[in-house]
Amino acid sequence: MSNSKVVEVKDLVKRFGEFTALENVSFSVNMGEIFGLIGPNGAGKTTALRILATLLLPTSGNVKVLGYDVVREAEKVRPLISYLAEDAGTYRNLTGYEYLFIVARIYFESRVDAESAVEEAVKISGLSDRVTDKMKTYSKGMKRRVQLARTLMTKPKMAILDEPTSGLDIFHAKHVREIVKRHVADGGAVILSSHNMLEVEYLCSKLAFIHLGRIMIEGEPQTVKDEYGASNLEEAFMEAIGK
Amino acid sequence: MSRLKPLVEKEVKDLLRDPRIYIGLIVPIIMLPLIGFAISTATRSATEAAVKDLKIAFIDYDETNASRGFTSFLTRVGFNVRKLNVSSLNEGLKEAKTMEYKTLLIISVGFEKDLLSFGRANVEVYAVVESVGLGSVGAYSAIDGALKTYSDILSSTLISRIDPEVNPDIIRNPLNVTRYTIIKDTVIEASPQALFGQLILGYGFMVPMVLLILALTVTQIAATATAVENEEKTLETLLTFPVTRYDILIAKLLGSSIVAVLGGILFTGGFLLYFQGLFAMPGLTGIGNVSLALPPPPPETYVILALSLIISILFITSLGVVIGALSSDVRMSGSLIGVVIVPILIPSMLIMYGDLKSLPLALQLFAYALPTSYPMIMAKEMITSTMPVEVLYGIPYSAALTLIVLYATSKLMAPEKLLTLQFRLRLRRTKRSQTKELN
Repeated sequence: MSNSKVVEVKDLVKRFGEFTALENVSFSVNMGEIFGLIGPNGAGKTTALRILATLLLPTSGNVKVLGYDVVREAEKVRPLISYLAEDAGTYRNLTGYEYLFIVARIYFESRVDAESAVEEAVKISGLSDRVTDKMKTYSKGMKRRVQLARTLMTKPKMAILDEPTSGLDIFHAKHVREIVKRHVADGGAVILSSHNMLEVEYLCSKLAFIHLGRIMIEGEPQTVKDEYGASNLEEAFMEAIGK
Repeated sequence: MSRLKPLVEKEVKDLLRDPRIYIGLIVPIIMLPLIGFAISTATRSATEAAVKDLKIAFIDYDETNASRGFTSFLTRVGFNVRKLNVSSLNEGLKEAKTMEYKTLLIISVGFEKDLLSFGRANVEVYAVVESVGLGSVGAYSAIDGALKTYSDILSSTLISRIDPEVNPDIIRNPLNVTRYTIIKDTVIEASPQALFGQLILGYGFMVPMVLLILALTVTQIAATATAVENEEKTLETLLTFPVTRYDILIAKLLGSSIVAVLGGILFTGGFLLYFQGLFAMPGLTGIGNVSLALPPPPPETYVILALSLIISILFITSLGVVIGALSSDVRMSGSLIGVVIVPILIPSMLIMYGDLKSLPLALQLFAYALPTSYPMIMAKEMITSTMPVEVLYGIPYSAALTLIVLYATSKLMAPEKLLTLQFRLRLRRTKRSQTKELN
């Protein structure tokens, strides 16, 4: 596992008018890591991921992805990352294959590379023949799998996954977790958010509890549990926020 | 491989397969010819039904050979003519109405005497109107036509009686008027009215109408395409792709324009078929193709028209993208389109139906301030003047304004702005609904 920094976040603050979504948040992610951001709704997970994905600008603080500043060098960051939004929709009137091929052609100069990426994406999605159907005929889970395939087919140096298994049944959630693990084993890094503590414990090599826009604790899952003398992450989180 | 191409492909495919779009595109090519055909068929059949077995009643107070000759002429030309034996006009009118006669003719006393003494013979025509459809108009026109024909026959007979050597037509129309119209240094053997009729129909009405529909279509498509991204939550993902904001904006503009031009072609086809259907109506046939005699507008005017049209489409499509970007869903963008675009297109309508220079100065300035006015001015003026001077100044101005709008729109496509703007709009709506609930 390489220790080169993929993400460096220092004293990140994000305000929407009078509302503070993130307050002095700092963490880092190394190459080969799966980093989990854990917290309840409204904790600031999605805001943090959106800043890493160059969608939102920090109010203050420094955020670097693979050495590039997400504000000043957003154009350099975007080709290296891939973002899966929590409620990412699909183009109803395109087939899964058409959508994946369009995205692949945006990322890859050569048509051969694009076709090879789509081939990989079709495998990741597990949609087989249904990939040539229009996406408006897909179930929520199928749409999610297409989006996950789209995110990982470009082999991003860092994949940003906001609730990657949201809406998936137990079989497909397991399939997705395996793909995420494989992606990291192939040389990428992943930062994800999740409500599912079991999932985080299984997937993540490092995690951070985030509550009311602040990082409560950051570390390896076992270290975090040990810190609070908890048997699982849920208990540790409750201890961390004082409930 | 250009990154713009797949983005444009996405736009075009997604739009053309969207029922909200393709139904709107297909409807004119199907509905307009059907409407034209329905109007012409209904009118023709109503007229034929009204003229067929057309019943005319008459009261002959003269009872002479001349009056009898008049009524038997009406029978010969195919009318169902019946003499009423009544003592008063009111009684005659009552009977005509009861028996469903379209017209009651009163041949006055002295009809023959007046004719023979080269005086005016009096005939009163009472039209009994039961319905106001186009068919009734045809029926009364047929009666008027018959009266005029009989008047011409009488006139020819009387003129020949005075001098059998002369041609009655020449006596009736002693002036031989040949009408010419000079337009763009070309002399055309036609009256200006006939020419204007065609020009108004063609360049003055048809072309601006198509431009107007094209402008509305392109704006609506651009707004829908962008609002759908918000509604279906695809915009956020799109904005993280390694493409510039300009690529996304240009792809939206190009995709919408391609689909709108296709829509424009279908609409024009439908509109032409609609007119073709209307011209099959009685009374509208026989319009000569006078404008064919005109020299075609010089090629440079077409270039300027195309240029002004492209600038105008880019301008209005950018507004569509802005509307779509600010809308959380397609329904909201549809509502905003009407509020924003209709006022912008009003000057175009004024140009289409009136004379811009005769408008109040404020309206003129408003029209000249909008890039959408220049294709209208150009389309209307290109046949009569080589190059409207206002268009020559207007095109660079429109291009500059459109660039500013494009720049501003691309800035709006920055995710921070879009996401925070929508966040604020949602927050405002939530606060407003909470205030309502409290009240």
